[in-house]
Amino acid sequence: MHIMEGYLPATHCAGWFAASAPFMVGGAVRLRRIVAERPQSKMTLAAAGAFTFVLSALKMPSVTGSCSHPTGTGLGAVVFGPGVMAVLGTIVLLFQALLLAHGGLTTLGANVFSMAIVGPWVSWAVWRLAGKLGASIAVAVFLAAALGDLATYATTSVQLALAYPDPASGIVGAVLKFGGIYAVTQVPLAIAEGLLTVVVMNALSGRAGKADEIRVLSGEEQ
Amino acid sequence: MSPVDRVAHLNRWRHRSLIEKAMLALGMLILAVLLPPFPAAAVIAVIMTAAALLGARVPVSVWLACAAGPLGFLLSGAISLVVQIDANGLALAPGGLTAAAGLVARSVAALTCLLFLALTTPATDLVAGLRRCGLPAEIAEMALLTYRFLFLLADTAMSMDAAQAARLGHVGARRRLSSLGSLIANLLPRAIDRARRLEIGLAARGWEGEMRVLTETRPISIAGVTLVLALEAGTAALGVVMS
Repeated sequence: MHIMEGYLPATHCAGWFAASAPFMVGGAVRLRRIVAERPQSKMTLAAAGAFTFVLSALKMPSVTGSCSHPTGTGLGAVVFGPGVMAVLGTIVLLFQALLLAHGGLTTLGANVFSMAIVGPWVSWAVWRLAGKLGASIAVAVFLAAALGDLATYATTSVQLALAYPDPASGIVGAVLKFGGIYAVTQVPLAIAEGLLTVVVMNALSGRAGKADEIRVLSGEEQ
Repeated sequence: MSPVDRVAHLNRWRHRSLIEKAMLALGMLILAVLLPPFPAAAVIAVIMTAAALLGARVPVSVWLACAAGPLGFLLSGAISLVVQIDANGLALAPGGLTAAAGLVARSVAALTCLLFLALTTPATDLVAGLRRCGLPAEIAEMALLTYRFLFLLADTAMSMDAAQAARLGHVGARRRLSSLGSLIANLLPRAIDRARRLEIGLAARGWEGEMRVLTETRPISIAGVTLVLALEAGTAALGVVMS
């Protein structure tokens, strides 16, 4: 869920930029190393970034009947790994602000934190954990994508609540208010995206030929 | 694919210097976020809307279409400032309307700044500008390559989608979901294939891992910069004095 331009006060904008910075720099350093070792992976990474952007331009049927779009964070985290997703996600969010007026420049730090850092890391952790616990691949992928989306949505609600706490019940009340308003669209979206990611991974697993290139991106193979 | 990108390349201020446009949009954006919303936000919103619609001649329909999405988010979010949760459940928050009005004003002002920048300046120019401000070359290059791939992949995705629709792939939510799943699953290998083909093509031409492209730098007009600075100083003074 994108926080729009100008929604957060200046101090919060700066704070979220500062919180995202270590991940962005870490991702950038990692990305520079991958690119320095194999210049050809530059193309693959760019294609992966563009792929993530295009996902967000596709319409997805959601349970409430309203159309929403997949975020691709879960898929990206499982396929490419969360480290690289921080940089790709930042580039994608910048282009979403500039090409679709989705999100904003002052709120870029906050959006990067919820969508390019928290979402992918949660998805990736859930995916690893579910795999270790012996869940089937379909269940693990569903949980990774759906919980990644829910984590993003929860983070956004907390970000909004920190900026605008409830006069009576403080930040907790504000989290409930913002969470409640956006739950109508975000919870069905998470479920739909979970199902969608399962369909995608099922179809992708029949194409193991490309696995080596993807593994290079996620840093598993040097 | 993106009407924003088309307008960014075709508007009347396309060939004005990046520095002037960025100074106007980012300067006003910073003022919108920093100054108390009344009356600065109204002034900023009027100036930036006029700059986009009258100055750069951005089509009103595109401008409105871009503003609609964020405004929906804004209005639903503003509701939660009006109400509060206490022991008795939901109630109207004291001063909630003022807080919500301030939030709406500031966000609308900031949105007009973003729309101005997005609709008058192509994203490639902005990335080139960021590069000059110290963004590492690899990241800037990655962003430009991503931008290039984005339109190629979007074209592919759109034709896949049309093909599915023509074969009743959009009938019912269940089939829609599985169609979209197979679209995405086919798109990723194609994207990676495409990247590999591009890379082989470049390698065959002796590419060594750096892309050099011509970028046009426009002369900065002193009058433009002065006007921008005067407008911003005026808005800042007004915002501080009047509030």
